[in-house]
Amino acid sequence: MSAELIVSNLRKQFSVGRPAVDDVSFRIAAGEIVVLLGPSGCGKTTTLRCIAGLEQATSGSISIGPDLMSAPERGVQVPSRLRNIGMVFQSYAVWPHMTVKQNVAYPLRQRKVTRAEIDRRCAEVLELVGLAEYAARPVTQLSGGQMQRVALARALVYEPRLLLLDEPLSNLDAKLRLRLRDELRRIIKAAGVTALYVTHDQDEAVVLGDRIGVMQEGKLMQMSAPVDLYNRPENLFVANFTGVANFLKGELASAPGAVRLPTGDVLRIGAPPPGRAGDSVVVAVRPENIVLRPDGEAGEVANSFPARVIEGHFHGTQTTYAVETLGHRLEVIELGTVPRFNANDSIRVVIPPDLSWVFPQDAKSAVTPS
Amino acid sequence: MRALAGWLWSAALLLILSFLVLYPVAMLLLGALTNTNPVVDGFGVYDISLKNFIAVLGNPNVLLALANSLIVCGGGTLLAVAIGLTFSWVVVRTDTPCKRFIAAASLIPLFVPPLVAAVAWSILASPKTGLLNTLLASIGITWRFNAYSMFGLIVIFGIYYAPYVYMFTASALRNMDPALEEAAEISGATPIKTLFTVTFPLIAPAIISGMLLSFVVMLGIYGIPAVLGTPADIPVLTTYIFKLTNWSPPLYSTAASVAIILMIVTGFLVFLQQRVVSGRSYITVAGKAFRPGVMRLGPWRWFTLALAVVYLVVVVVLPTLALIVAGFRKFLFIRSIASLFDMKQYSLIHFERLFDNPLALRSIVNTMEVGCITAVVGGIFAFAIGYTVNRTKARGRRGIDIISTIPVAIPGLVVGVAYLWAWIGLPGGLYGTIWILALAFIARFMPDTIKALSTSMLQIHRELEEAAWICGKSLLGTIRTIVLPLARPGVIAAMTLLFILAIRELGSSLFLYTSNTMVMAVLLLDYYEGGNVGITAAFSLVQTVLLAVLIGIAHLLSRGRTDSSSVGRAG
Ligand SMILES: Nc1ncnc2c1ncn2[C@@H]1O[C@H](COP(=O)(O)OP(=O)(O)OP(=O)(O)O)[C@@H](O)[C@H]1O
Ligand SMILES: [Mg+2]
Repeated sequence: MSAELIVSNLRKQFSVGRPAVDDVSFRIAAGEIVVLLGPSGCGKTTTLRCIAGLEQATSGSISIGPDLMSAPERGVQVPSRLRNIGMVFQSYAVWPHMTVKQNVAYPLRQRKVTRAEIDRRCAEVLELVGLAEYAARPVTQLSGGQMQRVALARALVYEPRLLLLDEPLSNLDAKLRLRLRDELRRIIKAAGVTALYVTHDQDEAVVLGDRIGVMQEGKLMQMSAPVDLYNRPENLFVANFTGVANFLKGELASAPGAVRLPTGDVLRIGAPPPGRAGDSVVVAVRPENIVLRPDGEAGEVANSFPARVIEGHFHGTQTTYAVETLGHRLEVIELGTVPRFNANDSIRVVIPPDLSWVFPQDAKSAVTPS
Repeated sequence: MRALAGWLWSAALLLILSFLVLYPVAMLLLGALTNTNPVVDGFGVYDISLKNFIAVLGNPNVLLALANSLIVCGGGTLLAVAIGLTFSWVVVRTDTPCKRFIAAASLIPLFVPPLVAAVAWSILASPKTGLLNTLLASIGITWRFNAYSMFGLIVIFGIYYAPYVYMFTASALRNMDPALEEAAEISGATPIKTLFTVTFPLIAPAIISGMLLSFVVMLGIYGIPAVLGTPADIPVLTTYIFKLTNWSPPLYSTAASVAIILMIVTGFLVFLQQRVVSGRSYITVAGKAFRPGVMRLGPWRWFTLALAVVYLVVVVVLPTLALIVAGFRKFLFIRSIASLFDMKQYSLIHFERLFDNPLALRSIVNTMEVGCITAVVGGIFAFAIGYTVNRTKARGRRGIDIISTIPVAIPGLVVGVAYLWAWIGLPGGLYGTIWILALAFIARFMPDTIKALSTSMLQIHRELEEAAWICGKSLLGTIRTIVLPLARPGVIAAMTLLFILAIRELGSSLFLYTSNTMVMAVLLLDYYEGGNVGITAAFSLVQTVLLAVLIGIAHLLSRGRTDSSSVGRAG
């Protein structure tokens, strides 16, 4: 019985500092998994805790399904225990004085479920998370990964309308993290529950989420499917955060979809950017999307410019180059186990118009390219 | 050469420890097994048999005292748990205002000498003349407080020993991941349900060790049952032991037997407590620092604040007021509330009479003298032991460690009886001098002093010492030039603590003082038993002020690192 989650204009102001969550709105469809992604301190946990009812929002509203959960302006604040949501904590928070079964049964015991029903549902959910044979163990005798599964089972056993997960994998070692993240998606999808998942690990976000929301300084910068996040970033921050390393400053030329750089060269851009000729803009290009060609190779393509290789670093399955072109130093990543160029080679770079994005360069969005 | 010096050093320490701890305990055991009197029959005349000890075990008076002790301390412990747990939860887990104040208030009773507290409460709540009862009578209520009762004893024990439970549970709560409680809340548990199914079970080890410790301390206290229990004829083990030595002829060997019973119970409970403390704790540590998960109490937070205020009033404000009224009023009989504020009734007469008695001044001088000897000698000795055990590889340091911890399990009163047995029969010995008191205190408080010192010693990095070694300093040179200067604040703080503990000690002094070596605590009890409330109150005030000043100095010296736990164990 999963339900949709609607968050509107959520704000949370602690006693000190800027708002931890600043006017965040989004909607998660029933059964969808959405991941909140962002650097440390951007307000992901706070958002999650407001939805859980563990933190009281300053303003805005939160509804799960048809029910209003929190609307401070209207004096609505449903306590956590009545929200019927499940939550998995970063520190597992399994109760060490209980066995696996007791942990999982605890929420059911608060709900006046019959003993037989408790047994049946515990067995079912422990099967789902793959801990069926561990039911009688004290949780302190489990590994970290197993404890996290207990936490997950405990959060799912009462079939909550919404599942909240706060960096559930960050305390596990790297290998286990990889394995468990695939499994987590399988389990959540099998349970069919709506899920909001918080992480600062991009790979995790991409694998797990149907959609990803990127947060920065309390604001939701963009929420879209992983493919769109990587291929249609809506602002400089998202572009930068998802790994775009090359930023070229210029201004819009009079021809549509053209940017004139200070060197006089003109870059063609696939989707014509909004704005008027003469506006200052930044063109962002991913290192993976730039194509390098040997000098003089035949074929006429758009946005092909002469360049010089400054240095190359071989990484085994890929090589990163720093090349000088258009008055900038660009980073380029080429896949393959054979490096093609040496330092000081004269080559050509091709900047694909469809995978270059233009952002206005005003004071606000001028995130310093790292 | 160095090996030989190290060996000699360990041997010397062990010798002194044997003299301070093992010999008196051995003499106590011997005393329990004989039926001779060391004063009458002379030292060294023993008629060893288990019969005496077994006879004592079957004595109905002993069993009554034992039963009373268990009831009073058990009841007191339950109350202490209720109070300590409540305040630790309020301080750590709620949004009650003035939490720093509540935290401080929860620890203050540790600094109140039990004897003074008991005296103050006898003034407040004795069934006939207690100030509170006068107050009740004046507003027409016929119900009366009665501090001279089993119930009164339990309440006084409970309120003054709650800090033990508080100290343990507050830190356990602080170290608990708030997510554990939040998970229960999200699972659908009400706050009360969460408290009882998650929070309390998780800090159970801390609750149990706080309980055991407070029980042990209550068991060894003499002042409170002497003041409040004796008028109602409620003997407990400690008061019974003292009574035995005060009969004529004194029943020293019976006293020794009862002391052994007390020591065995204490030792067992201390052992249990150590097991709980060192056993597996449930406290889970997450990857990130916890945010304080506080519960919003809404209007109830004023109620929790009021609880703390009431507690502070009951344990500190009321008793202090009672002492002030009794100490400065010419006659304690108060006809009406108005006469309470009649300044003509107040004077310094009790203080004048107190200091007219040369014994009062002598007791203060004696106490200070004993305190100084204890602090300096005990401090140096504890430092030597602490350093040897923690920082050297000297031979026999395990043994030194173990013997120096034994006094943890010996109540002060038992130390007194043991020292009595060890020295009373020896002609020209220590008995009757200031030194026997000082040595008994040094032995009694050694574990606390060493512990206080070890923490400050651990703060000196090994590398600093090693750097000096490498620079060619000898071991002693290193200690002198590196360890001592760095540890000095800690050593001074430990000495001050020792001084404070020594000057308020009653239990062991009872058996070791003579008229020449009278100390303050014993004289205060004498005044109380003599029935002069005014002088008793005046003297209590003198001691309280003295102690407050000293604690203030200690606080300054340790720069805020209050070691209240050490003041605590000694009661
Ligand atoms: N209880 C609190 N009191 C005051 N400020 C807080 C509190 N909780 C969070 N903040 C602040 O709110 C901001 C957002 O914190 P939040 O925990 O939501 O970040 P996060 O995105 O989860 O970071 P991380 O990835 O490190 O977990 C931070 O600047 C933090 O300092
Ligand atoms: Mg977080």
